[in-house]
Amino acid sequence: MVGTLVRPALSASNVDLFYGNNQVLKSVNFEAPEREVTALIGPSGCGKSSFLRCFNRMNDRISGARVSGNITVAGQNPYDPKIDLMALRRDVGMLFQKPNPFPMTIFENVALAPRLHYGLKGSQLEGLVESCLKKAALWDEVKDDMRRKNGLELSGGQQQRLCLARMLAVQPKVILMDEPCSALDPISSEKIEDLILELGQETTILIVTHNLQQAHRVSKHCAFFMLGVLIERGETEKMFSDPQNPLTADYITGRFG
Amino acid sequence: MERAVAAAAVLVAVSILGLGFYLAMESRFAFDRKFGFGFRVAAQTGDTAPLDPVGMDPNASLLASNLEGAEGVDEKEDGIFAPTLEELSGVSGTATGTLLVDDPKNFKGTLFRDDWRLNKSAGEGTTMLFCAYATPEYKERAIRIAWEPDASFDPKLSPHKLTLRLVRAPDGVTLDPISVDLSTNPKGEIKVPTWIAKSDDQRANGYLFALEAEPQTNNFFATLGAFFRTSWDPTLPYPRFGLLPLLLGTLLITLIGLAIAVPLGAGTSVWLSEVASPKVREILKPVIELLASVPTVVLGYFGLMLVAPAMVGVFGSALRMESGRNLLTAGIMMGVLILPTIISVAEDALRSMPNPLRDGAAALGMTKSEEISKVLLPAARTGLVAAIMLGFARAIGETMIVWILSGGTATMPQGRLSDIGQPTRGIPDTIGIEMGNVEFEMPHYGHLFLLGLILFLFTIAINMLGHYYGRRRQWQH
Repeated sequence: MVGTLVRPALSASNVDLFYGNNQVLKSVNFEAPEREVTALIGPSGCGKSSFLRCFNRMNDRISGARVSGNITVAGQNPYDPKIDLMALRRDVGMLFQKPNPFPMTIFENVALAPRLHYGLKGSQLEGLVESCLKKAALWDEVKDDMRRKNGLELSGGQQQRLCLARMLAVQPKVILMDEPCSALDPISSEKIEDLILELGQETTILIVTHNLQQAHRVSKHCAFFMLGVLIERGETEKMFSDPQNPLTADYITGRFG
Repeated sequence: MERAVAAAAVLVAVSILGLGFYLAMESRFAFDRKFGFGFRVAAQTGDTAPLDPVGMDPNASLLASNLEGAEGVDEKEDGIFAPTLEELSGVSGTATGTLLVDDPKNFKGTLFRDDWRLNKSAGEGTTMLFCAYATPEYKERAIRIAWEPDASFDPKLSPHKLTLRLVRAPDGVTLDPISVDLSTNPKGEIKVPTWIAKSDDQRANGYLFALEAEPQTNNFFATLGAFFRTSWDPTLPYPRFGLLPLLLGTLLITLIGLAIAVPLGAGTSVWLSEVASPKVREILKPVIELLASVPTVVLGYFGLMLVAPAMVGVFGSALRMESGRNLLTAGIMMGVLILPTIISVAEDALRSMPNPLRDGAAALGMTKSEEISKVLLPAARTGLVAAIMLGFARAIGETMIVWILSGGTATMPQGRLSDIGQPTRGIPDTIGIEMGNVEFEMPHYGHLFLLGLILFLFTIAINMLGHYYGRRRQWQH
């Protein structure tokens, strides 16, 4: 276990999560450093995705979900009843397992939220769309027909990068990624990983992955979950070379998972 | 299994094509339509006589007119021949007779008093010949030749150029050629010097006028041209088969129905799909779908007994309603009729939108209403358009509600707001009402099939449009 961070971008203390009567997370204590990539790993059904979704309260959309404990993200508690949830979700962007572009043009996909939230239009909006598409390494591929082509006409990897650009357009401080490469081929995955490394320089990223190599490649910190319990947390290098908990060791060496 | 599906698809396609073909085939009788001459010509007395209407019977032909005792002649004469001099003896007056000749060069023939102008098609360049003469007792110096259109005949609707021409003046009379364009002078008179027929045989030797019809187009296009006109009245002696008031009636009722059902249906379906709890939805959805199966005649009578009086009470004076059966009432009940269909289909379309789409919108910090209006509705637009199209197709072919509630008068809207308070009539109910007592395989019968064909093409076009929309890329799971 590493010590308490001075300024964690994300933190959770004693977090329990229930879906109905089913307890998914059991008193999780967690911290993630600012402007770095932290990976959540663990076998399927260990609760890592559910945990991720606590930070922008996407669990609310599942009926019967209940959360207790203390969560902080971007300086706010998402479960504070007085919080402006929509504003929080602007600060905490999310990339999903399956690319989910809106069925509209590529430009509209990126432009929709900033226009809605910040009232951007004209060249300002166009500039933002361009810079976001560039950050998502999609600009060169779509710049010619982004106003004609539907987001759904892109390949899976392109769609995921479009979703990334769409999220960046809201200018989030923290980015949550829920197995963003699991539906993609290796080449597309590699591109996304490059982007994660690049974005990790300036943004806090929390990524859920079932791919240990990926976690190893992209993350600086790592947390291992099993059956709703946070087993081990630490620097990725250290955890992969010298896991403290025998369960972590078994998982990392591929004995189960 | 696949074979059965393919066979069913072929069967459906064949029956649709067959139906269209059948409608088109039966429509051919519309083109047997005859366009009569539509004008009456008569010789009238004297220079001093007041300008009397030409006709005695406004719809029938006229042979003798303004004759002293002319009524007597008319009553006496139930035959088909023009009055003989003996019948006219002791009468000072003039007369005309219709001369039917096979050979236009030989004018000798029987003078008929009966009238073939109505039944005789003017379409093939036919001429009607009129003889004008005076009785031996006639003392005045001139005979007036007067003409006017028949009561139900509108010269503007005639596909022919009609001319009244002096073919021949009697011996001993020299006259400049006379030729009157009846389209510009539908009603008028000219004077010619008196010519007296000394014997019955001589009657045909008098003035000979021809009513000449020069077709401007062939009968097919003339029928089509008359079809796209603004008056529907098939029972007139010169029937009017103008589609437009019926089409507008149907379209306006449909539009009012859609104007009510689309916003209500969209709102309800969004609420059911996105806001209501699953329990509420499970109860309400089947109830709404049950409403779609209420017999339209029941809705019609419900409208007649409850909505129509309420409409008169609320909008009666504002829209100058004379009865509760009008465009507005029919349109409102049409909205009630298609509302369940629209809700059901639109709700299905919204529910079929995958949750990742909703999550994606929510994760960007959109509120529920932004998520619905900016992402879900645009994404589901193909399904929503399909819902509207389905409602449209349902409304445009609806017979019973329009029959009961429209008031049944084929009137052309005047472009005023109060139009929607006036009685109207649609295409399906017109077919329903008139098909029962139409003469088999006659032009009226053919026109009803033509109406059916138009309706059929409309619904096909709407479905194709919906299909075209539906084929555009939908969300992929």
